Amino acid sequence: MLDNITFGQFIDTHSVLHRLDPRIKIILLIAIIVFIFLAGNFISLGLIAVFCIALLINSKIPLKMYLKNLKVILPIVIFTAIINTFYVSTGTVLLDWWIFKITTDGIMRAVFMSSRVVLLILISSALTYTTTPNDLTDAIERLLSPLKLIGLGNLVHMLAMMITIALRFIPTLLEETGKIMNAQKARGASFTEGKLTEKIRALIPILVPLLISSIRRAYELAEAMECRCYNGGEGRTRMKQLRLRKNDFCAISICVLVCTATIILNIFF
Amino acid sequence: MSILEVMDLSYSYSGGLPSPTAAISNINLKIEQGEIIGIIGHTGSGKSTLVQHLNGLLTPTSGKVLFEGQDIWEKGTKIKKIREKVGLVFQYPEYQLFEETAAQDIAFGPKNMGITGDELTGRVMSAARAVGLRDELLDASPFDLSGGEKRRVAIAGVLAMNPKVLIFDEPTAGLDPIGRENILKIVKDCRDNNGATVIMVSHSMDDIALIADRILVMNKGSVFMFDTVHNVFSNSEKLMEIGLNVPNITKVFVELKKQGITFPDSVYTMDDAVKAILSYANGREK
Repeated sequence: MLDNITFGQFIDTHSVLHRLDPRIKIILLIAIIVFIFLAGNFISLGLIAVFCIALLINSKIPLKMYLKNLKVILPIVIFTAIINTFYVSTGTVLLDWWIFKITTDGIMRAVFMSSRVVLLILISSALTYTTTPNDLTDAIERLLSPLKLIGLGNLVHMLAMMITIALRFIPTLLEETGKIMNAQKARGASFTEGKLTEKIRALIPILVPLLISSIRRAYELAEAMECRCYNGGEGRTRMKQLRLRKNDFCAISICVLVCTATIILNIFF
Repeated sequence: MSILEVMDLSYSYSGGLPSPTAAISNINLKIEQGEIIGIIGHTGSGKSTLVQHLNGLLTPTSGKVLFEGQDIWEKGTKIKKIREKVGLVFQYPEYQLFEETAAQDIAFGPKNMGITGDELTGRVMSAARAVGLRDELLDASPFDLSGGEKRRVAIAGVLAMNPKVLIFDEPTAGLDPIGRENILKIVKDCRDNNGATVIMVSHSMDDIALIADRILVMNKGSVFMFDTVHNVFSNSEKLMEIGLNVPNITKVFVELKKQGITFPDSVYTMDDAVKAILSYANGREK
């Protein structure tokens, strides 16, 4: 049951995408997402789709891993498609029954909208697969650093530290959950049988020990951090300095080109 | 018929990675009723993986586990019934406690088996007594108890199910010497007083020498040796090869032997040592 949850999905394949500066990756991801939604017709969306697929291939991550992520949001894609199919009533009517009316335009729109969602997920997965969670939070902290100017610097640091710690402890807590589940199973507990209320009650023997051990871990971690003189973000230097390299500027240029092309295609078609 | 039999057991895990890693491979074992088996091996040698197969917590990739001659994964076998008969006390079992009182926590296992009323109370009381918990502790919250007491409550929780086979995974980990001694006594009593078959996983040669009849030495997911305590520990060179060792007290006696002082029997525990030294001293007086 717990084996299916992948979090902090980082897979190291040493691709070009892995080596990009995480700050650049985040900014470019946001830009691509914006342009996925700006693309107003199939041609401009097609261009972005080709670009995204090229990125996925470049990441050297097995396609299977991307499909696994798509499977999770499949219900949303289907829902989007259905809503859009019935929402549009222009174009050639294919089916007209009771209040349901399916038209060619409706189907086109459904395909268009679901492609957007699919692209969105694929490109976001490319970021999480090629960037370690720590790099991500580090980059977020750096990107939010302008907030220091209005006196929110420590808040940003605290937020980034909390996210880092949370991410760091997800695998640990998953492992712990597995252990506790096994221990309770060995005592005859069952998590799959019975009515819904029984199933919920069956979670108590897992959640209570898990909560207690999380609190214990939190205290231990806080103590260990204080022992090493941690006192917040002020004056803290970094072990790993992020620096923009040639690759990063190439990536920015390519993205700018693709985005400009999208706008042009949008205008002319 | 052996109470537990393992045939060609292999288990590999994928952990989301493309190529699966073998945790244990081709294990064959026969464990007889009433034995105490010690399992030793390095971290990652597959000890815990092996014991989790014995009560059906892990499903073998290939091979079989037989309990009283019956395949536990055969169709129609209720795995829950197997888990009632093969009790498993995990490493650091105190982290599984969750109930409001120690007594309620001990009752969790038997309750899951459908036991209620006086029998339930009886089981809780006798399990508590078996682990040496004072009666007034039974109504305390398990989280208010000391580390050693918590562990004893957790062990009692498995004992209360009256399993025929009891598996302990590193029961003495993280305890002080007196705590270790207490737990080892509880483990041994499971066989001596209740006739259960006992399997104990441990890092400590001293602990295993103290209570085991036979020792299973695991190395890199396979059985390295499976023999009586004497036969395993008299093979100290072979143990050293895989980076394991003989009990500390045995090392002392091996050194004494090098100095030219010979003792009649092999010495594996402190009691053996006391006897050997006394008989040596008596021999010199005469």
